[in-house]
Amino acid sequence: MPSLIDLRRRIRSVRNTQQVTKAMKMVSAAKLRRAQDRVLAARPYAAMYRELRARVAAAVATDERLATHPLLAQRPEERIVLVFFTADRGLAGAFNTNLIRAAQAFIAEQAGKQVQLVTIGRKGRDFFRKRHFPIAAEYTGFSQKFDYADAASVARFLIERYARAETDAVYLLYNEFKSLISARLTTVRVLPVQPAAAVRPVDYIFEQPPRELLEGLLPRYVEVAVYQALLESVAAEHAARMTAMDQATNNAAEMIARLTLYMNRVRQASITKEIIEVVSGAEALE
Amino acid sequence: MAETFLLEVATPERLWVRAQVREAQIPCRNGYIGVLPGHAALLSELASGRLTYMSEDGNHALEISGGWVEVLDDHVRVLADEAREA
Repeated sequence: MPSLIDLRRRIRSVRNTQQVTKAMKMVSAAKLRRAQDRVLAARPYAAMYRELRARVAAAVATDERLATHPLLAQRPEERIVLVFFTADRGLAGAFNTNLIRAAQAFIAEQAGKQVQLVTIGRKGRDFFRKRHFPIAAEYTGFSQKFDYADAASVARFLIERYARAETDAVYLLYNEFKSLISARLTTVRVLPVQPAAAVRPVDYIFEQPPRELLEGLLPRYVEVAVYQALLESVAAEHAARMTAMDQATNNAAEMIARLTLYMNRVRQASITKEIIEVVSGAEALE
Repeated sequence: MAETFLLEVATPERLWVRAQVREAQIPCRNGYIGVLPGHAALLSELASGRLTYMSEDGNHALEISGGWVEVLDDHVRVLADEAREA
C-alpha cells in the first residue's frame, strides 16, 4: 500500500499540471477569439475580389493573348509544390498529426511525380526534414504573428517559381476552421489559377485596358488564397489546442478525485488498524 | 435618382467603410475621379492618395494605396492594398 505522503505528493503534482493546462486553455481561447475575428474581417475583401475578378475575366474572355499569361498556363502536372500549413508548437491534440498524415497521403497519391514541400510552421518542417524530404522553402512563426504581407511574400515565392516553369502545380494543404470541435482538412490547387466562374459581362468604362487589369488581379488570387489558408489554419490550431487543453484539465480533475478518494481510504484503513491494535491490546489485559 | 450610393472600402485584412454616401473622391491611376449617385459602370486601378467621401454624418477621409475600384449600379467597391485613417 502506498504511503499517505506519496499519495499527497502525486495529487499535488497532478494539480500543478492541471494549472498549466488550464492556463494554456485560457490563452488559446483568447488567441482563438482574435483569430476568428480576423477570419471574419478578411471575408468582405475575399468576396469582393472574387466577384471583381469574375467580371473582369468575363470582359476579356474573348482576348486570346490572355491564354499565354504565365499564371494561367496549364502544363501536365509533373512537378508539384505542396504548401503545408502546420503549427509551430505541439500540445494541440491531433492537429499536427492529422496534417502530416494527410500530407503523406497526398504525396503517396502523386506516385511517379516529383513533389516538393513548402512548409509553414515548425512541426511539419521538422517531420519532413528528419526524413530528408525535399523542402523548397520554409516559414515559421506565423502562428504567433503574421499579416497580409507575410502571406503575400509566400505567394510571391510560389508565383515566381510557377512563372519560371519550375513547377507545374501548387496545392495548399491546411485545416479549415469549422467550429470549436471540428476542423476540416482541405486541399486546394492555387496554381495554375482557375478560370473564374462565368458571369454576365458588364459594360464597364475601363480606365486601363481590361487585359492589364486582369494581369494585375491574377497574382492577387494566390495571395488571397494563401492569406485565407493561414487565417483558417491558425484559428483551427488555437481551437484544437483549446479543446486538447480542456480535455487535459478535465482528465486531471478526474485523476485528482480518484487519488483523493484512494488517499482517504488508505488513511481510514490505517486508523482502523490502529484502533484494532489498541482494542485487542486492551482485551488481552482483561 | 437615388441621393446616395453604397461605398465599400476593404483591404485584404479588413473592411474599412460600408456606408451610404452622397459623394466620393477616389485616387485612380489616371487621376482622381469623383463619384456621384448614378455614375456609369467603371473599373480602374487605384493610385496612392486620399480617398474622401461625404455621408450623412459629414466628411471622411482615408489614405489608401494600390488596388482597384469598381463602380457598378450605385455600388462602389474600393479594393485597396493598404488603408489607414487619414
